[in-house]
Amino acid sequence: MAQAIQQQDVARRKWILRPATREAITGWLFAMPWIIGFIVFTLGPMIFSLYTSFTRYNITTAPVWIGMENYQALFDDPRFYISLRNTFWLVAVKIPVVVIASICIALLLNLDLPGARAFRAIFYLPNVLAGVAAIFLWRWILAPDGLFNRALAVFGISGPAWFYDPLWTKPGIVVMGMWWIGGNILIYLASLKGIPAQLYEAAAIDGATGWTKTRYITLPMLSPTIFFQVVTGIIGAFQIFTTAYIIAGQGSEDVGKGGPSQSLLFYVLYLYNRAFGKSGPGGFQMGYASAMAWILFLIILAITLLQLWLARRWVYYESEGQ
Amino acid sequence: MKASTYGRWWQFVALLTLLSLVLAACGADTGQPGGSPAASGAATTPAGGEGSPAASGAATTPAGGEQGAAGNGPKLNKDVSGEITFWHFWGSPVRRNAIRRVIAICNQQLPNIKVSETFKPFGDIWTANIAAVAAGSGMPDVIVEDRPQLPQRARDQVDENLQELAARDGIDGSAFWPFTWKQTLYEGNTYGIPYETDVRVLFWNKNAFKEAGLDPEKPPTTWEEVEQYADKLDKKKEDGSYERIAFHPLIKAGTDTFGYTNGVNWISDDSKPQLNTPEAVETVEWVKKWVDRYSGWSELQKFRGSFAAPPQDEFMSGRVAMVTDINGYTSQLDFYRPRLTNAEGKQEELSWGVSFLPYSKERSSTSGGFALSIPRGAPNKDAAWEFIKCATSPEAQASWARDTYAMPANQAAAKDPVLLSDPRWQFFVEAMNHTSGGNYLPQYPNWKEQLEQRYEKIWTGELEAKAALDEAQQAVEAQMKK
Repeated sequence: MAQAIQQQDVARRKWILRPATREAITGWLFAMPWIIGFIVFTLGPMIFSLYTSFTRYNITTAPVWIGMENYQALFDDPRFYISLRNTFWLVAVKIPVVVIASICIALLLNLDLPGARAFRAIFYLPNVLAGVAAIFLWRWILAPDGLFNRALAVFGISGPAWFYDPLWTKPGIVVMGMWWIGGNILIYLASLKGIPAQLYEAAAIDGATGWTKTRYITLPMLSPTIFFQVVTGIIGAFQIFTTAYIIAGQGSEDVGKGGPSQSLLFYVLYLYNRAFGKSGPGGFQMGYASAMAWILFLIILAITLLQLWLARRWVYYESEGQ
Repeated sequence: MKASTYGRWWQFVALLTLLSLVLAACGADTGQPGGSPAASGAATTPAGGEGSPAASGAATTPAGGEQGAAGNGPKLNKDVSGEITFWHFWGSPVRRNAIRRVIAICNQQLPNIKVSETFKPFGDIWTANIAAVAAGSGMPDVIVEDRPQLPQRARDQVDENLQELAARDGIDGSAFWPFTWKQTLYEGNTYGIPYETDVRVLFWNKNAFKEAGLDPEKPPTTWEEVEQYADKLDKKKEDGSYERIAFHPLIKAGTDTFGYTNGVNWISDDSKPQLNTPEAVETVEWVKKWVDRYSGWSELQKFRGSFAAPPQDEFMSGRVAMVTDINGYTSQLDFYRPRLTNAEGKQEELSWGVSFLPYSKERSSTSGGFALSIPRGAPNKDAAWEFIKCATSPEAQASWARDTYAMPANQAAAKDPVLLSDPRWQFFVEAMNHTSGGNYLPQYPNWKEQLEQRYEKIWTGELEAKAALDEAQQAVEAQMKK
């Protein structure tokens, strides 16, 4: 009898967990919805696409294992290189332009001139517009005889044909992208507001002027934000799709062509054309598209790791070196 | 103690949340499988584009009244019963109404079958169907398929093989325009019954002809004549840019279409590419001549970029005197009735005519269009088949054509007396005898991309026509070997 009670006691003690363990379980439970979502909607499909990248697969029939064939075909595919070149061009031009422009505007807004609040709202406004509708709007603004070129004509400049001239399609996309920098401006602005005033005061006592302050205080203090913006910006630019899809498919043109002279054939647009059969031999070439997706993943990973390594040389975190 | 009660309470809440999430995920009725990622607004209008015909006087026959169209369709089995879903992309008021009338006709003939039609945007319909077929559920019983793509759909096992049913019910394709039937075949079996087709013809602007001193009733018939006409029709502004151009093979058409008028057969009947024949080279050089005539490729791009949808398009704005377009363009012209400013600065209505495409060796043209198919795994195949038989029969087809002014795939319907009372329609029926559905290459359905990728280099002078076509030929052959 007594033994039985003791046994029960032991059994019960087994079920009473230490507070730390219990806390951990609660934490995991709270994180569960996201974890399940991640496994079901992100990790699972990723593993599946890794598998399909070694197969010939068109959704409706079973995948056929072909080993490295997709990857080999990729490196012999002229359009793979064209799309890479287009994408690198966009990353190399768009990111610096966006970073410099948004920092300059953030610095201006930070001066607290009259009307700065209104301008902050105005700069952010385009971000609330749905992307696709805005792209259609810009297609119209940058038409050969659109608003933009008419404005240039006022100054006696004859504007290019933008989305109809292979030389100007990508610059057109950069110009269009400037419209959405409001979000970046706000983030820089928040960072600027966080720079302690006493740093500037100390510098002023030492006789520092405007540019010196910017160079030795503002930019180093902003560098973590700049770094973050550059990393996410590059990842975003590599994945450009919607804009290219709409501009390249304008009128009755086929998006499979990738715009005038394939100048808008960005990597993900080409991937889409392969996946949905507008390019390549025909049918839904999911295997090939999956291989492309993994190559893109590796490219972005490599570039991001390189940036993390470079960051040690120019990004300043306040917690360091104290 | 208190803390632990809280802890347990939170665990309980978290568990509940999790449970409800899982339940919601399992119980959710996934509505639409992934469509195209971009807005379907970017989708191009299907061939046979819209434009409601201005209250066409063609009165439809009362249902059950006398049959307008000659000939009878295949025998229907009235005993088959069930409910079927039908996916189409005809969302405009005119076409939606037209398809509902077709369904009403079939409801009368098949009293035990209930058809519910669902509109799917043109950009999404086939992706959604393929995703449903892959998932094994959610596909419609009947879908409108793009006919030139049918062989590929068949190869990918997206649609059911209808050969057995067709043979059982005596459908051998003879009721339809021959090329429309041929396009539905894959390895000798049919995968869809032709429903609607079109034909590319030449629309010419009679006002411009008059102004240029040409006979407005005599359109050009050959490549040479078009060039002679162009010398008179081209009109420059003071700054040297074109106010009006006569014609351009690349406006609303393409090199391959005009290739057929020069006797080119891009893919031989035994499925061999022949992209670099002398006729093909000649065609490409002829097109290049037009590109050069109008100040080169980039100028043409700009020129094309300055137009929008009707009534701001090339032809209705009066800026291109002759354009290639499908017969369905007629209904748009009838609807908008564009007005042009003449030489005296007065407004006058654009009067126009239709004719065959200018040719160099033979009258020819290209046609697209649609067929009705049954997706693989559709729940109610028998009822779907009866509906398809009815919808492609003369009566339903004539009703469709009267409402939309689109060319029915069924030949008897195309010769419906009500339709033939319009002389333009008579011409379209005649044009149907000089057109083809393009070429299909089973090993490389997208073969045309090899031409498309090189055309621009030819127009800009980067590549010679012959060299470019040789390259394209080699690329297609290489792909076929894979």
